[in-house]
Amino acid sequence: MIFLFLTSGLFLGWTLGANDASNVFGSAVGSRMVSFTRAAVTAAVFVIIGAVVQGGGAADTLSRLGSVNAMGGAFTVALAAGLTVYFMTRAGLPVSTTQAIVGAIIGWNFFTDNAVDTRVLTQIVSTWITGPVLGAIFAYALYHLVKTARRRIRMHLLKYENWLRMGLMTVGAFGAYSLGANNIANVMGVFVPSIPLEDADFGIFVLSGAQQLFFLGGIAIAAGILTYSKKVMQTVGTNLMELSSEAAFVVVLAQALVLFIFSSSSLSGLMVRIGLPPIPLVPVSSTQVVVGSILGIGLYKGVRNINLKVLGSIASGWITTPVAAGILAFLMLFIVKNLFSIDVGHSVNPPVSAGEGVSMATIIRYSIPALLLITAIYLVYLVLSEKKKTERLNKKYYE
Amino acid sequence: MSLFTRTNRELSVRIDEFFDTIEIGILIFKEGIKAYVNGDTNAFRNHLSKIDDLEGKADKLQRSIENDMIVHSILPQQRSEIVKLLWQLDEIIDTAKKSLNEFYVEMPRIPASLSHEFISLSEVSGNSAEELMPAARAFFREPHLVREKLIKVYFFERETDKAAFQMKKKVFHEMNDLSLAEKAHIRYITHHIENISDTAQDAADLLASMAIRQML
Repeated sequence: MIFLFLTSGLFLGWTLGANDASNVFGSAVGSRMVSFTRAAVTAAVFVIIGAVVQGGGAADTLSRLGSVNAMGGAFTVALAAGLTVYFMTRAGLPVSTTQAIVGAIIGWNFFTDNAVDTRVLTQIVSTWITGPVLGAIFAYALYHLVKTARRRIRMHLLKYENWLRMGLMTVGAFGAYSLGANNIANVMGVFVPSIPLEDADFGIFVLSGAQQLFFLGGIAIAAGILTYSKKVMQTVGTNLMELSSEAAFVVVLAQALVLFIFSSSSLSGLMVRIGLPPIPLVPVSSTQVVVGSILGIGLYKGVRNINLKVLGSIASGWITTPVAAGILAFLMLFIVKNLFSIDVGHSVNPPVSAGEGVSMATIIRYSIPALLLITAIYLVYLVLSEKKKTERLNKKYYE
Repeated sequence: MSLFTRTNRELSVRIDEFFDTIEIGILIFKEGIKAYVNGDTNAFRNHLSKIDDLEGKADKLQRSIENDMIVHSILPQQRSEIVKLLWQLDEIIDTAKKSLNEFYVEMPRIPASLSHEFISLSEVSGNSAEELMPAARAFFREPHLVREKLIKVYFFERETDKAAFQMKKKVFHEMNDLSLAEKAHIRYITHHIENISDTAQDAADLLASMAIRQML
C-alpha cells in the first residue's frame, strides 16, 4: 500500500532525473566531450549518494512549510506537482519541480486548514531569486579564474582539453550529488511526515526512515537519468546558448555549488558557529541556477544583448507554477477525499486569527485566489493575443 | 583515461611535427628558387626532391591527425576549424612544391637583371608563410599571443604584393628585349610565388578568428 502511494513521488523523481540531469551533464554530452553512458552512470550513482547523505535539510524545510500528515495527501500533493510540471512543459511554459511542489504543499495547507508558515515561505521564495543570482556571481568569478589560469599555465590545448574532460566528469559528479541532495526534497519531502519507517541497520551504517525514502527517490531519479535523459542531454543541453567546454565546466560547477550551499546542513551550521545567519536549506530549481550561471558568463564576456524574455519567463514561473500547482492540489485533494474517501490529512496547526487585525496567513489566503484570477486572465489574454498574431501573420502571408 | 592521455600526447607531437615539416618545406622552397635563379641545377633538383618528400609527409601527418581527432573525439568543438587550418597549412607546402615543379618542367628564362627581384620575391613570400608557423603553434599553447604573431604574416604578404607588382611592371614596361611569351611566362611564375603568401594570409585570417573564439 505504501508503495502505491509512493508512485506519484517516484514519477516526480523520474521526470526530475529525465529533465534535470541535462543541467549537469547536458553541455558535456551535447558537445561530445563526455559519452552519454559515462555521464548517465556517474550522475545516477552520485544523485543517489547525494539524496541519501545530504537530502534531509531541504526536506525538513518543506515539512515546516506543510507537514503532510496522511499518505493519501502526500500522494495527491506529489501527483498534483508532477501533473503541473507535465502540463506546463507541454504548454511550453517555464516550470520548475521545486516551485510546483511548494505550490502543491500550500494547496494542501489550505485544503486541510493548516496555517502557512509565512517565514518559511518567504525563506523559500527568496532562495528562488538568490539561487540564480548566486549562480551568476559564482559563474562570473569561476570563469575569470579559469581564463586567468589558462593564460598563466601555458598548457597545450590538447592536454588542457584532457584536463577539462576530467574536470567535467568531476564537477558533473559533484553536480549530480548536489542535485540529489537538494532536489530529493521535491520528490520525497512530502512523504517523510506521513510514512514513518523504522531505521534500517546494515551493520556498518544505519539508514533512517527518511533516508530510506530518499534512497527510493534517488533510484527513481537515477532511473529517469538512465532511461530518458539521453535525448534531453543531446538536444536541450545546449539550447540556451552554445557553451564552450570551459564555460560548460564553469556552469556545472557554479550550479553544483549553489545547490550544495542550499542543502548542506554542516555548512549552515558552520555559518551559525562563526556568528553569521544560517543558510536556508531549501530546494532550488537547477534549471534556473543554470540560466543564472550562463548569464554570469555572458556578463563576463561583455554580452550586451541579454534576452530579457528568458529572464521574464523565469520570473513569471515563480508565480504561475506554484499558483497552478496549488489550485490543482486543492482540487485533487477535494476529489480524492470526497470521491474515494481517502484520508488526505488533517489540521494540526490551524491559522491563528489575529483578533481585530488581519494575519499574514489571512492575507495569503485571500491573495492566492486573487493571484489565480489574475493569472487566469493573463493566460487568456496570452492565448488570445497569440491567436490574433497568428491570424494577422496568416492574413499578411496570403495577401 | 590513460589510453586517452597517450593519444592526446601523441597527437600533440604529430601536430608539432606537421608544423616542422611545413616550416622546413618553406625554407627548402626559398633555397630551391635561389638555386634555380643562380643556375645551380643539381642543388635545385636536390631541393625539389626534398620538398616532394616533405609534402608527402605533411599530407600523411595531416590525414592521421584528422583521423585521430575524429576517432577519439578530440577537441569536438574546435575540430572542424583545426582540420581546416591544417588543410590550409598543407596547401602552403603544396603550392611551394607546385611552384618548384613548374620551374623544373617549364624552365622559365630568368634574365640576370631580374635575379635579385626573383630571389627577394620568393624570400618575402616564404617569410609570410614562415611567420605563420609560430602563430599556429601559439594557438595551441598561448592563444592570446596569436594576433600579435600574425602581424608579420600580414606585413610580408603586403611586401610580396608590392614586390610582385614592381617586378611585373619592370618586365612589361622596361624589359623590351623580352618577347611577350617570355614576359607572360615570368608573370605566370611570379603569380605562383605570390600564391604562397596569399595562402598564408587566408590561414592567418582563419587562425585569428580561431584565437578570438578561444579567448572569449
